[in-house]
Amino acid sequence: MKNGVNAPRLLGYGIGGGLVVTGLAGLVVDARLTDPLGWALWFGGLVVAHDGVLVPFVLLTGVAVGRLREPAPVRAGLIVAAVLSFLALPMVTGFGRRADNPSLLPLDYGRNLLVVLGLIALVTAFATIAVRLRAGRRRG
Amino acid sequence: MARGSVMRERIETLARGVPGRFGSALHSERVAARLGLWLGISFTAAFVTGLFSHFTQHPPGRLAWPSRPVGLYRVTQGIHVIGGLATIPLLFAKLWTVYPKLWQWPPFRSFSHAVERALVLVLVGASLFQLITGLLNVSYVYLWPFSFPAAHYWTAYLLYGALVIHVVNEWAKVRRWLWTREEVEPRETVTARRRFLGTVAAASGLTVLFTVGETYAPLSGLALLAPRDPRVGPQGLPVNRSAAAAGVTAMIHDPGYRLTVTGAVGTPLSLTYADLLRLPQHTVRLPIACVEGWSAEAEWSGVRLRDLAAMAGVAPDAVLTVESLERGGGYRSSEVRAPHWGDPLTLLALRVGGEPLAPDHGFPVRLIAPNRPGALQTKWVSKVVAA
Ligand code: HEM
Repeated sequence: MKNGVNAPRLLGYGIGGGLVVTGLAGLVVDARLTDPLGWALWFGGLVVAHDGVLVPFVLLTGVAVGRLREPAPVRAGLIVAAVLSFLALPMVTGFGRRADNPSLLPLDYGRNLLVVLGLIALVTAFATIAVRLRAGRRRG
Repeated sequence: MARGSVMRERIETLARGVPGRFGSALHSERVAARLGLWLGISFTAAFVTGLFSHFTQHPPGRLAWPSRPVGLYRVTQGIHVIGGLATIPLLFAKLWTVYPKLWQWPPFRSFSHAVERALVLVLVGASLFQLITGLLNVSYVYLWPFSFPAAHYWTAYLLYGALVIHVVNEWAKVRRWLWTREEVEPRETVTARRRFLGTVAAASGLTVLFTVGETYAPLSGLALLAPRDPRVGPQGLPVNRSAAAAGVTAMIHDPGYRLTVTGAVGTPLSLTYADLLRLPQHTVRLPIACVEGWSAEAEWSGVRLRDLAAMAGVAPDAVLTVESLERGGGYRSSEVRAPHWGDPLTLLALRVGGEPLAPDHGFPVRLIAPNRPGALQTKWVSKVVAA
């Protein structure tokens, strides 16, 4: 759109547009299974929750962390911890457990997540100490 | 009137200023390009392995897929699900990086700019949809009114199409930032970027480390955050649908049980459990490879499906439908095409690890075949129909 039109560009738009139309048509034609209204609520809901809640929250946290003396290790530790908590959350809630099938979600996910977060906190603490020592030596 | 326009001007000035308020130098085209490259690779892997999974379950026409390599489906679906989970941090990082652009002013500079932004919305929405409903689905949290495979399948086309268009639009920037020599940058900018990208890569890597053991046995002890442990279940093997959930608990112990082979056959067969045990038994080591990404290997023994087909006089290109005692549901029956039923590894298994199958593993008889999604390894088999 910006850099003029050439053959590879048109081909890309053709393929991409074709796939988009295929996807939309499939969602509509298969409506009995895809439930377009429910689908649209999830689609839009996730965008709103992400752009309107999650990112502002992350930005505010980022500002707060930026005030620390050595923000870099804390920032990295928090990013990794947040991602793994997000991953584990559905399992920690145990929402998917079923009485007839104990092989499904068989672990103690709350405990496992705490172990993982503990490891991350430990590494973050060591990194912070290391960075401070180095900075101290440079100054001294 | 005048007051209104002053007000509007103020709001516009404010809006124009929003993108400039994001202080971090990481909201940059260079970071976006790098993360975009990673996402492009992982979405391509997801799309290809996802389509493979779809067409193994819904082969078009008479097309048949090969039964070897034995562990192919286990690997492709492992890449799909574990790789998909590892993509979550990449997506969040990318969206954070380009977030100031959400507030660009004016929102639409031209018609084509509006179309471009609409397609970016499709890309963002579809990406979040695939990754987050995907995560919930493998965690057995079904909080939606749609069928996950159907919605996930069609959204994949939507996502990949919007991605192709987006890549075409941004390609010049990717080339500029990733394949041209770095121009002089302040050292702190370079360090900050490396740190950020390194952190995101670490989050992805740890996601893999703590989940991949649900399909890669040597790491099963590390699978702290995986929805399955491949060693846990009746007879040391996970179960997806229990006998109770399938409603077959009473039927499977019926002394009148017969396995029948019918349809386009020379000699219809009707065999009791004892008859089956008297036929030549074979033992194979095969994985159950679930569509949800986990897999577990076991030693199965039973009758080769091709021996039964030969006894019944089935044509070599026939399609066999293996039917369960279940009354209904999506897993009641599955099709076995020639490459699979002709494979000596494909069994109607009576035993696992030397013991009769547990009810949850399909007692009295289950299908087990190489390179095939677990959803098609039909349990509680009572009928084979040739066509
Ligand atoms: C966290 C990320 C993801 C997870 C956990 C995930 C999980 C799954 C699962 C469990 C299935 C099997 C569904 C079934 O047969 O019952 C599947 C199939 C599929 N996936 Fe994904 N997926 C993810 C991301 C993606 C992405 C990004 C794409 C596209 C670019 C994609 C495309 C597909 C396709 C085309 C299928 C085949 C659906 C069918 O059988 O009809 N997936 N995925």
